[in-house]
Formats: sequence, structure tokens, C-alpha cells
Amino acid sequence: MDRPGTTAKFVGARVRRVEDPRLLTGRATFVDDVRMPNALALAFVRSPYAHARIVSIETEAARSAPGVRAVLTSPEVEKLIPPLRMEHRSSFPAPPCRSVEWPVLARGKARFVGEAVVAVVAADRALAEDGAAAVEIEWEELEPAVDPERARESGAPLVHEEWPDNVFQKVEFAAGDIEAAFSGADLVVSERFRTGRHMALPMEGRGIVASFDPASGMLTVWASTQMPHVLRAEIARVLGCAENSVRVIATDVGGGFGLKSHVFPEELLAAALARELGRPVEWIEDRREHLIASQHAKDQIVRGELAVARDGTILGLRAHITCDIGAYTEYPWRTFEANVTAMAMPGPYKIPAYAYTTVSVATNKCSIGAYRGVGQPIGVFVMERLIDIAAGRLGIDRVAMRLDNMIPRHEHPYTTITGDQIESGSHRECLQKAVAMMADDRPLQASGAVRRGVGFASYIEMTAPSAMVWQTLGPPGSGSEPAMVRMETDGSVTVALGTNSQGQSHETVFAQVAADVLGLDPANVRVIQGDTAATPRGWFAGGSRVAVVSGGAVIRAAQKVRDKILRAASRMTELPAAELDIRGGAICRASDGAPLAELRDIAEAVWIGRAGLPTEEDQSLEFIARYEPPPMTHSNACHAAEVEVDMDTGIVKVVRYAVVEDCGTILNPMIVDGQIQGGVAQGVGSALYEEVVYDENGQILTGTLMDYMPPTAPDVPRVEIAHIETPSPFTVGGIKGMGEGGAIAPPAAIANAVADALRDLSPRVTQIPLTPERVLAIIEGKSR
Amino acid sequence: MSTPGFHQRIRFSINGRIVEREVPVRQTLADFIRDALGLTATRLGCEHGVCGACTVIVDGASVRACLMLAVQADGAEVRTVEGLAQDDELSPLQKAFLDHHALQCGFCTSGFLMTATDLAAHGAGSNETEIREALSGNLCRCTGYANLVDAIAAVLKEQAAKRE
Repeated sequence: MDRPGTTAKFVGARVRRVEDPRLLTGRATFVDDVRMPNALALAFVRSPYAHARIVSIETEAARSAPGVRAVLTSPEVEKLIPPLRMEHRSSFPAPPCRSVEWPVLARGKARFVGEAVVAVVAADRALAEDGAAAVEIEWEELEPAVDPERARESGAPLVHEEWPDNVFQKVEFAAGDIEAAFSGADLVVSERFRTGRHMALPMEGRGIVASFDPASGMLTVWASTQMPHVLRAEIARVLGCAENSVRVIATDVGGGFGLKSHVFPEELLAAALARELGRPVEWIEDRREHLIASQHAKDQIVRGELAVARDGTILGLRAHITCDIGAYTEYPWRTFEANVTAMAMPGPYKIPAYAYTTVSVATNKCSIGAYRGVGQPIGVFVMERLIDIAAGRLGIDRVAMRLDNMIPRHEHPYTTITGDQIESGSHRECLQKAVAMMADDRPLQASGAVRRGVGFASYIEMTAPSAMVWQTLGPPGSGSEPAMVRMETDGSVTVALGTNSQGQSHETVFAQVAADVLGLDPANVRVIQGDTAATPRGWFAGGSRVAVVSGGAVIRAAQKVRDKILRAASRMTELPAAELDIRGGAICRASDGAPLAELRDIAEAVWIGRAGLPTEEDQSLEFIARYEPPPMTHSNACHAAEVEVDMDTGIVKVVRYAVVEDCGTILNPMIVDGQIQGGVAQGVGSALYEEVVYDENGQILTGTLMDYMPPTAPDVPRVEIAHIETPSPFTVGGIKGMGEGGAIAPPAAIANAVADALRDLSPRVTQIPLTPERVLAIIEGKSR
Repeated sequence: MSTPGFHQRIRFSINGRIVEREVPVRQTLADFIRDALGLTATRLGCEHGVCGACTVIVDGASVRACLMLAVQADGAEVRTVEGLAQDDELSPLQKAFLDHHALQCGFCTSGFLMTATDLAAHGAGSNETEIREALSGNLCRCTGYANLVDAIAAVLKEQAAKRE
């Protein structure tokens, strides 16, 4: 551990959360709790059609409706905000991706059900919705592009008419001798896999409250976002104002899971209208808007092929991925869902040859974007199914086949076939431990009315990507994060982060981290986040990066404070700094802990220039440090699921679930276990229940939470969790990220368990979610 | 803010305080509590009665405040999360949620607290299956429910022990 001079005390401990009291008493401030006097509410008229030309819009009745302040259509809005357009602005090479204009309000035609067409601003949301209901739009329906494979065929309706086809991006990759691998294989397993269109579905939807002060020129924005500093920059850019005149506040955010790591047209419009109308404007989306028009995720068709030798050795892997992107690419990113799936597929296995093609297709649907793990759950689902199928056909043990192909501990750092460097890991140990945890005496029932099966899924979680990775995916962002650490004159400590939390407990965890470096109790450390006016400029919470990146920055900045305090204490005690330590908030002799001075006395002496430090040094105990980890860090884990399949109804019940994971240094095991349990719940939803459904006309059928079904308490198993701790040799503190991991493997583990339960039927388990209808089709041999 | 249409005068008790107001007849109890009374602990997660984030206690029973009109609360006794902690002392359920890490983002928490308050008031047992069933009308996207179940089970168990 990179923490000289102190013994870790709070890192690794189950410290209770400082966030909780305000959340438990209802005193937290989520965006909808911000009360601005004189605020106006924004509501939208949205397209009822997947693909339709706007013939005319009649807004007169709406304009004269009670309480309505403004009604805007595309031409009025475009005077305020240009259409969003993601251009590749990185210095790193990236595969080409068609850039598309995303108009804030539909211009000329609508491209998906739910696209915003008219904006209505009124005295409150109810009046704005009354106004919206009074708008009349004449439509001319166009044939929609709905199925992503058919949308690629020539003659398919074009989502963007200026394009020759509906392809956002096509990426091809090959490494190793793929032809030899497949021609020399004893067995080639080839399957077509289909994954549902899922949603992040945070319990708090999107929302923004914007207030402009003409006297100072400041635009203050409260937003439900994972990226306050990025949102600030985007608002400034589209409004044509200086970044320093925008402040974004996002202190309490009700879940994000990737969805709020985007900037949405509605948010930018609310900000623009606050400035234009000179009154605060709020837009709090309702759940229907969220379900049909925020952001979906993970909709892919994967042809996966595995070439293996008779003994189970993997010789080669091939994948063809079609990803249904929807109408626009997530902003401000370029599309990356399918490419992350392709990158994740090799997982913890040694793959000598790999070739893949990803095709990201435009359709007349809501756009897809980041959701916990991005494409990783699908890559793992495909790979782990292929291995189980191969092991079954070869008649070898599926666990043994995995163990034999896994990267052994001593081969780290291991460079994978895609060029990713896996710094350390415990792939075999995690799998072996998971197998041991699931072992019991009950026979696995493969006949009768209820059948029981067990499935395993191993994976590597790609965490904390660097600038290079982000910039090939989107805006010119950094892989680094800053932290400011300041010891006040009374010895208390303030930490300010460039990232903000949506439930991940940053205020607790980074107080623990700073407390250990500074020899304090975390109760003496206050963590500030989610306010661009009070925090150093950072990037965002996503990609399981905050523990690693913000954590490294906090450690580095706190070390600077510590060094300076000890140098000052050395002057004042006339003992060498190396012989001093900070313990329990006091300066003491390192050798025996004898207290020598109060921390507050040293801190105050530094701040007022009486500590005897060299005159060229600042009279300050405030430091900002930035940290960027190596290109990527990697956690690893194995999930194991035991399921019961009801042969009459097709209902799958997960009766046991175990996770053995290795995220390097664990900062707070209570938080880590909470992330795992919560991630698995989302993964169980992906595997069994959740699916955004469109009909053949592109009409969305899952517009309520009675149709899109996240799991409830009776649906989610209690996860049995074990940890292996292999610190990263490359990161400050040995930390690896783990926020997404819990959601990555459940579709794979559960699908493998279902296939195991039905093994005497030669089941084709290739599609998630495994709804009762699909399971019955598998049982009846009708699965396609 | 003037909402057109019919208004009606209502009088009811909220967290022990009597409130008398003129309310638009179309306004939901949830909007009234949040916007007119400024009690924002009651959260809106779906506004169609599925997620349970807006759960409050009306005359001793848990109710979705998004599915009830404010005028229907006339004469009722309503409790919200603001009424749980006494003099800044967390209630046993709030304390158990803290001890068991039963919340992450905290957006759904108010609804779970009120559902659990109803459960505890009706003397439910601490059987895990029953607790999970009782929570099935509340959605949480962060925790995966296990710690929520444990927190509530601990309170119910303690309550049962006290009764004996």
C-alpha cells in the first residue's frame, strides 16, 4: 500500500455511511426537491410514431392555455440551441463513426416514439401538460426501420436520410491465425445469441432546475447527473457562454447506473430557457418519459464461434455483433456498446486467435447508451455459454475446461489478444472457491416437474479506463480525476472530489481513505462533491473508475498535506520528520506513539506562517492532486447460480447465488458487498425479467413499470459473497474498480444454470431475458 | 400558482399537525404534500402506483400518495417520513436501515420506511419470505433488497421480543 508512515485503520473497515442520516430523514436534496420561487415547468409533446413526417404543428390553443408562458417548436428552439452533434475531437485514433445531428426538438420528422417535438413552458407541470395536450400535430407516417438486421438490408427505410444506409459504425478486428485455429479445431461451436433491450432505470428519473441571474451572468443548474463538470462544459458550449459562468450542482442523485453519464437535449433546453425567459425553469421527467425516451441499453445480436481442441483447449474465437443503437448515438459519446462487448468476450481466458466484427445500426427506436457494465454482460453471456456448450459436446467438465484455459496467476501482467494488459488477478481461485461454495449433497434434479441446475460464469471487469480509452469512445476527456485535500486551522479536513456519487457512498469511503493517510478519524473528514463551484474540475462517475481514480487522487493530495504537517511539526518539535507520525489527530513520536503536539496547533501555525517552514512555501495546507491510473485496471470474479425451472410454467427461480470477487484493495467491505448484491439484482432482472419491447411498427409496448419489470424483493436471491484480495501492482493503493461487476455475470451464470437444469433436452439457451414463454419454447424444442 | 378547475377545502392531520387548505380537486396527495406543504421526503418514482417511493400512512394503512387525490385525505391522519424521527432521534427502523446498509442512493428509502412502518405496526413476524412479500410493492434499484430485508427483520424481531 502506498501509505507511508501509517497503519491502515479505516480502509478495509465496515464504516457506516455518513450519507444516511439525511437520506433517512428525508432531508436530502434531490433535483425535484429544489424549490425556486417563480419557477416555470417544462413539459414536452412527444412523437406517437416511430418514424413520421411532421406536416404541421398547431400551437395556438396551447399558447393561450392557462398558465402557459411559452410554446416552442424546432425553429424557435434552434435559435437558442443548435442540434447536438458528436464530432471526434480526440488526438487518439478511433474507428470512424458516423456523426449525426440530434435536434433538441424533432425537425421535419420524428425518429422514435417519444422523441420530443414541442416544448411547453408553464407556471407548473400540470399546466404545462395541459398546454402540451392542446398542441395538435399533423403527421404523415413513414415506414420505420425496426429490426436491426433488416435495417441493414438495401432498400430499408433510412433513419437519417442523408446516409446511404443505417450503419453508424462498423469495426473489424483480427489477431492471431484465426483461419488455422478454426480449420484445425476438433470442435467448432457456433451459436446466435440475442439479448434484450434493457434499461438502467434509476429510481429517480432525469431532471434539471436552471436559474439565471442576469446581474452576475451566472447560470446555476441543479441536475440529476453523473457528470456535473461535463454537463457544465456542454451547457456553456451550446449556450455560447463562458464555462466559468455556469455552475452545476448534483449533490444527491437518485441512482444513475450509466444512464446519467449522458447529456440530454431536454436538460440543455431547460438551461437555455432559464436564460431566455429570465425565470427559473425546471424539467422533472415522469416515468413514462423515462421509459420511452431517456436511454435504453444492451440490445445486441451476437453470432459467437469458439474453436476448441478435443481436450478443451480454446484455439480461437470469432464474433459478429449487431447492435441496435436506436435513432441517435448517446451524447456526448460515440457509440461503444458493441465494441465493449467485443473487448469483454475473451475474459479471463487465453485466446490465441480472435476476430470480430461489430456493426452498430440505426433504427427508429430510443437511443441506447451506457448502463452498468455497458457491453460486458453480453460479452460474458456469449463467451460463458459457448464454453458450456463446448464442454457438453466434448464430454468434459465445464469447470475443468475453464480452469485449463484461464490465465494463471503467475502469468500476470498478461497481455490479451486484444492488447489489454491484465495487471493481476485470481481467475482460477475465484472459480474454485465458487465451485466449493455451491457444492452440496442434494442431487441436481434433471427430471420431473421442477428441475434444478447450476451455472458458473467467470469474467474480467474492465475498470478505470484512461484518457486514451475514453477519447476513442467520445469527448476529449481525461482518465484522471482530481481531489483537493485541505486541513483547516482546527485540524479538521475537507476533501473535494471531481466526481459525484449516485449512491456509491463516496462521502464515507473517501473520508476513510483520507483519514488513514492523515492519522485521523473519518468523522473529522468532510467530503464535498457534486458542485462545480466547490470542487476541482473533474470528469465523471462511471466505468467503475471512482474508487481507483478519485481514490488515488485523495491519497496523493492527503500525502502532501501529511508531509507538510510533519515538516512543520519537525521544526516545532525539533525532531526529524521521519520520526514523527499523526495518530488520533495528534502529532506523536512514531517509535512509541508518545504525543508531542496537537494537530490543530501545527495546522494553525502553518496557515498563519508561524510554522518555521521556508518562506517560499505557501502558508497553506491545501493541495490538489490528480491521478490517472495505467491504461485500464481489471477486477475479476466468478458468479454461480442455482436455479429451479418449472417445466409446466417455464418460470425460473434463482434459489442460490454466489459471488467470489477480487477487486484488489477493499476500501469498505460493507459498501463493496452492497454494490455486489445490488449489481446482481440488476443482472437477475436482465437475465429473467427486464425487456424493452417494440412491436413491428416501432411502437413501444413497455411504457409503464407494469410492462418493464425490474425485480422486486421476492425475485432477488441473497448473494453469498467471498473475497480474494489481489491488489493491483500498478495503482495507488492497489485499488481496482468494482461498481459494475455484480451486474456483469448474472445473465451468463443464470443462463448456464437453466441449460444445466434442462441438459437432457439438449436445450438451446441463447436469448435473454429467459421469460417463461422463452423457457417453455426451449423445453418444447422450439427455441430459435 | 393557479391551477384551473375545481378547488375544495380540506382539513387533515399530517404528522400530528392539523392542516387546512384549499386544494385543486385534481391534485394528487403526493403533489400536495411535496409542493403545497413542502414535505419533500415523500418521493415520486413512477406516479403510476408501481414503485412505492411515495408510500405514506393514511389512517394507519400504507397508501401510494401518487394514486390518491389530496381531497380524499380530508379528515384523515397522514404520516410521512418527516414524522418518523423524534427530536432528531432516528426511529428504530431508520436506525436499522443505517446499521444494515439498507440504502445506497436513498431515493426509494422513504417508501420502504413507510411500508416497513405499516408492517411493524401490524405486528408482522420476522420471517424473511413474508417480509420480502410485504416489500414486493416497493422498487429499489441499488441494494438488491437483502440489507433492507435484514434491517426490517431486526426491528420486527426486537419488537416481538419486547411484546413477550
